[in-house]
Amino acid sequence: MCDIIWCKKEIDGKVCNTVNYLDPYCFWNWEGKVNCAECGTVYYIHMIQGFMYKGPEEKPGEKPDTSPLVADQPLNGYKCHIPGIEGRTRPYQCLPRGIYLGRADMVKFSKRGRLVRGWRPQPPSSGIAGSFGFNWDAKKLSPDVWEEYQEKLRKGEAKDW
Amino acid sequence: MAKDLREVRLEDLPGPSSKEELEEMKMPYEDYCRKMFDVGGEFGKPQALKGIRWLSTTMYIFTPHSVANLAELGAEVIKIEMPRMGDPMRHTSPFNEAYLYPLHDSRPMTGTGFGFLGANDSEYHITMDYHLDEMKEAFYRLVKMSDGLTECYRHGTFDRWKQSYRYLQELNPRFIYVWGGGFGYGPKIFGGSYDILGQAHAGLASVTGMHDFMGGHVAKHSNWCIDWYSGTLITYGILAAMHWRRKTGLGTMIEFSQVQAATRALGYTVPLYGRFGIVRQRWGNWDTQLCVHGIILCGKSDFPDSENPQDKYDARYVMVSAFQDADFKELCDITGLKELYAKYQAHKDRVEAEPQVEIYAALEKWASDKSRSQVVKILQDAGILAEPVMNDREVYECEHYRQRGTIRWHEDPIFGDVLLQSTYSTGLMSETPRRQSWIWRPVGADNVKIYHELMGYPIKKVEDWYAKSWI
Repeated sequence: MCDIIWCKKEIDGKVCNTVNYLDPYCFWNWEGKVNCAECGTVYYIHMIQGFMYKGPEEKPGEKPDTSPLVADQPLNGYKCHIPGIEGRTRPYQCLPRGIYLGRADMVKFSKRGRLVRGWRPQPPSSGIAGSFGFNWDAKKLSPDVWEEYQEKLRKGEAKDW
Repeated sequence: MAKDLREVRLEDLPGPSSKEELEEMKMPYEDYCRKMFDVGGEFGKPQALKGIRWLSTTMYIFTPHSVANLAELGAEVIKIEMPRMGDPMRHTSPFNEAYLYPLHDSRPMTGTGFGFLGANDSEYHITMDYHLDEMKEAFYRLVKMSDGLTECYRHGTFDRWKQSYRYLQELNPRFIYVWGGGFGYGPKIFGGSYDILGQAHAGLASVTGMHDFMGGHVAKHSNWCIDWYSGTLITYGILAAMHWRRKTGLGTMIEFSQVQAATRALGYTVPLYGRFGIVRQRWGNWDTQLCVHGIILCGKSDFPDSENPQDKYDARYVMVSAFQDADFKELCDITGLKELYAKYQAHKDRVEAEPQVEIYAALEKWASDKSRSQVVKILQDAGILAEPVMNDREVYECEHYRQRGTIRWHEDPIFGDVLLQSTYSTGLMSETPRRQSWIWRPVGADNVKIYHELMGYPIKKVEDWYAKSWI
């Protein structure tokens, strides 16, 4: 766990006293709102490298972006909310959040908008024993990407820097 | 102009008529440098190492870089990789699909990562499983027609495969043989190495990073600086060996231990211990010998609204140097910390540990309500040496690097548009500049060029080797 939110919200005269565990897989670098697994109070937090940079600040009436991984109440016999309870703790899918799923980003153009041979699969070489020619003729070997590139050139999206 | 051309007077000739006028007509030195080094015109000039042929059975960064240096200077380098797989460095860094495809015909879904960049450029890539008896003849023939070889296997492996220096010099007495690895002969003869191991074992990491009381740890440099550094030192060894060979006609064996090379970067650490028994400690962004001479943290980022955390949170550091008494006085004046100057007027006083803690803390407090650029401007206007700690994006956008061609876009013949820094960051040469012809080539891309066109093996044989995965 990189940090906790110890919920001190008073509800019906009773302090919530729930420890919400913030796991590094989700919260290591994270900004948003997270609910208390017990009372549902929404807190805004901002974490940088596992350090609580801002928050937790209460955000009454707002919707949470996600939930803690797990929560318990150490002052109440360690009553526990296990992972994956809808609305309380985060669904337990053994997956990090979307941006870390490592889906291939098939780049066809560099940052300045010029052609890059960076997507897969590539057409095989026509050479013997795995040999490749010295020049990759994009127009001939990847005509669809070449067309896309021409469009970029027409729009002036291919720059010098 | 005189009528009789045999009587032309000096002052009638076009051009300067006196030494003073000559001086006046000279172009400004900066323009002269621009013309001499002619950024972008590298390919119109000769190459210093043209005619040298080098073999490379190397992997990762350290030993490949020693050879890439030769290739960039014009040597014909033949990189030999394992069939179908290639150098493992192709598959390592950075993770998460920063790859360029294709890797090889037989593996259409695998690419080469940018970590490979700069350590293997402008080379010919062939494949060969050279430890097979069947491929020995081809390997030896390559040795006979080459000037040298760099390898990175465990100590003695090539000897076991009958291709170490003592075997190869019998085939080619002019051969220069480089072994680059972890420890070399000695008590850890079989120990392998990585950059981080070199930094750790040589004692470099122990003097890097903030001190314990600042919450710091022993630290390694984030990039593989000891790999790049050791590789470059091998290149120096190779160039010296080639000069020796010109004089004697004989080859050399270079045995290069990476952990050994890393100790060279320790500076005064070792003699300090030898004289006083002092074990040097780490002092992070400050300096044990000079004060003020370090990096301070400012309160505000230069790019508070940026989405990128490097910009948003880390664009807050400034390098400042004001260790001379006059500079330190100016620094204290400009920051309103006059009591500090009164207290630590002499450098020997302020360079002690406790004063440094006090001085840097006071400077950071002064900077706590200012942005990085505000701090730099205030200090520079006062004549104090200060520069922002820049990130990659700022380096890319830096006019200084663009004008000198340090960072540049490269139109690779196979992979297209790639942003480069490596080749062109190594010093400019007016007559025989370095250049990058291509970033790399797919695994085995030059099999026909080398085996058939250079060595004369029939295509049938090359195809047969390929079918058997020997190449």
